[in-house]
Amino acid sequence: MAAVEITEETKQQVERIGSADVVVGIAGTVAPEELRVRAEGILRELGSGVSSLRFVFAWPGVTPQTVAGAEESAGSSALTMVPFSPPAQGAAEFWSGVSVNQRAVLSLAASLNARACIVLGPDLAALEPHSIQLLTYAILDRQCGLVMPVYPAAKYDGLLNIGILSPLSRALYGRRVRYPLAFDFAASGALCGSLARTSALAESSGNSLLWPVTVAATQFPQVPVGQVHIEVHHKVATEGLELSALLGQLAGSLFQEMDLCASHWQRIRGSQATPVWGNASDAPTDSQAIDTQPMLDSFLLGSKNLDEVWRLILPPNALLELRKLTRLGPDQFRIPDDLWACIVYDFALAYRLRTMSRVHLLGALTPLYLGWVASWVREVSNLSSAAAEQRLEQFARAWEEKKPYLLSRWRWPDRFNP
Amino acid sequence: MWQQVEQSLHSSMGRVMNKIATLLPGILAFIVAFLFFLLIGWLLSVVVTRILTAVRFDERMGRGANAMAEWSPRATPSLLIGRIVFWCFVIAGIVVGASAFEAGTSENILSGWILGYVPRVIGAAILLLAGNVLARFVSRSVLITGVNLNLSYARLLSMGVRWMILVLTGAMVLDHLALGGAIVELGFGILFGGIVFALALAVGLGSRDLVSRSLEREAARPVEVAQQSEKIHHF
Repeated sequence: MAAVEITEETKQQVERIGSADVVVGIAGTVAPEELRVRAEGILRELGSGVSSLRFVFAWPGVTPQTVAGAEESAGSSALTMVPFSPPAQGAAEFWSGVSVNQRAVLSLAASLNARACIVLGPDLAALEPHSIQLLTYAILDRQCGLVMPVYPAAKYDGLLNIGILSPLSRALYGRRVRYPLAFDFAASGALCGSLARTSALAESSGNSLLWPVTVAATQFPQVPVGQVHIEVHHKVATEGLELSALLGQLAGSLFQEMDLCASHWQRIRGSQATPVWGNASDAPTDSQAIDTQPMLDSFLLGSKNLDEVWRLILPPNALLELRKLTRLGPDQFRIPDDLWACIVYDFALAYRLRTMSRVHLLGALTPLYLGWVASWVREVSNLSSAAAEQRLEQFARAWEEKKPYLLSRWRWPDRFNP
Repeated sequence: MWQQVEQSLHSSMGRVMNKIATLLPGILAFIVAFLFFLLIGWLLSVVVTRILTAVRFDERMGRGANAMAEWSPRATPSLLIGRIVFWCFVIAGIVVGASAFEAGTSENILSGWILGYVPRVIGAAILLLAGNVLARFVSRSVLITGVNLNLSYARLLSMGVRWMILVLTGAMVLDHLALGGAIVELGFGILFGGIVFALALAVGLGSRDLVSRSLEREAARPVEVAQQSEKIHHF
């Protein structure tokens, strides 16, 4: 395991500062002046609640001006600004860059012996008093080791998270976390060092995204994990990125984590509820109906052409079920939860076994995912927000119920389970 | 008369037995040399694989998208190199065995011919292997990318690419083996040109409607996708 190295310049600043109670780090380039104004505003607004705490705000971007600005701010006892040099990034992918910066912030927090580290997205959407207060409260007052965000989401938002990342993470690591891969989260000082590290294998593959829940569940199983409602909507810079590339980056990274932590998640059964703080705002409503036909067409085209590829990954019964689905009319089309869970498990297994090139494997998942999206959108389109939430819970439980299937295939991959 | 026949048979039998007796040491030398190289090859392949595993060669090779693991997903790079070492020794065993066989006999035509031709055969085998792997990889890439781009002729495109690479490989292999001479070059030129011409005709005439419909659909898609993306967010 290799920790993200902070540069000499940053180390000197850390030595000068000594220690901090709360490190608030931005995982991307920001305008330092804007950050300073907003940070001062937050501390002013939080007032006496945080007056006894020493806050350090860190962001990537060391220049003579930013260092001089940081030194000026050192006079204030409550607020310290620390620019740090972002570590060299091997991969140019968006999420890899974010994860590298997140690890650098956590590493900095560990160097400062911080009691809590709050990592925020580069768009600064979550840099507002309520979010900072909630995250600090959950770590310092409620003794959580890790606090993940719950963003307000409409029924058709974050479908990749709903369809693969969240239920897979929950089934594997037993923590009911809504957003296992998030821009904003907070960690206690004890976890910072571990979260900053990345395994050599993950690093060598160039796809080592930071999955905080995985680290917490595998290395600190006793440490409580919580969630807080954060009323922000991030502008994700992955718009325009090809879906198969996005799927490859995110699902591929989770499959890789799965391979690395196999000895841990195989021992975990069921899942634990995580306490949630803050009030959920009303989710944005989707009044307009969505035409799922293009997604359904993609699925049908995939099933017509990718049969020879899917046959290498999926067992015969899954192929049979998929073939039956292709014969259904658009109105009856629905991918059952357990079938979808098994399909993703089979792809994760094929990823581990290198049944074929991993780029091809994740590319072959795209039409299936679009089929699931079509099925999901049709199903939840008429549900209220509360009913959609319930449906989501039912969907995640199906993944947990199918975990024995994953375990059996993982341990005896040559045996197809009819 | 019978005595002459019997004498003749005896003498030919004697010549055959003599020939076999002459060849036996050569055959034995071939088998011994071959088995010796087989054993060395096996031992070295095991040692090489273990050393590469110990120095985490697979992980180092795993960096980047065009890693060896992407081309041969089932075999790890260290296993692949171990196998290459083994088969190099098997081929060397055959060559040395052939030399040893001739040392036991009075003729050395076979050894000269084999030794002269072996590099060509090895080169051709490598070309064939590389061509097949490349054809499989590229055709699968084209198929998956085509499907993800919603191209209804993705399979046709993938098959076309596969056969283009296979035909090119076949021509290169035959050329490398010096078989066929100018016929191969000419035949390849005609075949390759024919495939390209047939595809051009198929697209231009036969599948005109299909292609134009597909292109129209592609042209219309950005608007459709933009409208959808406002409502659906994958992440």
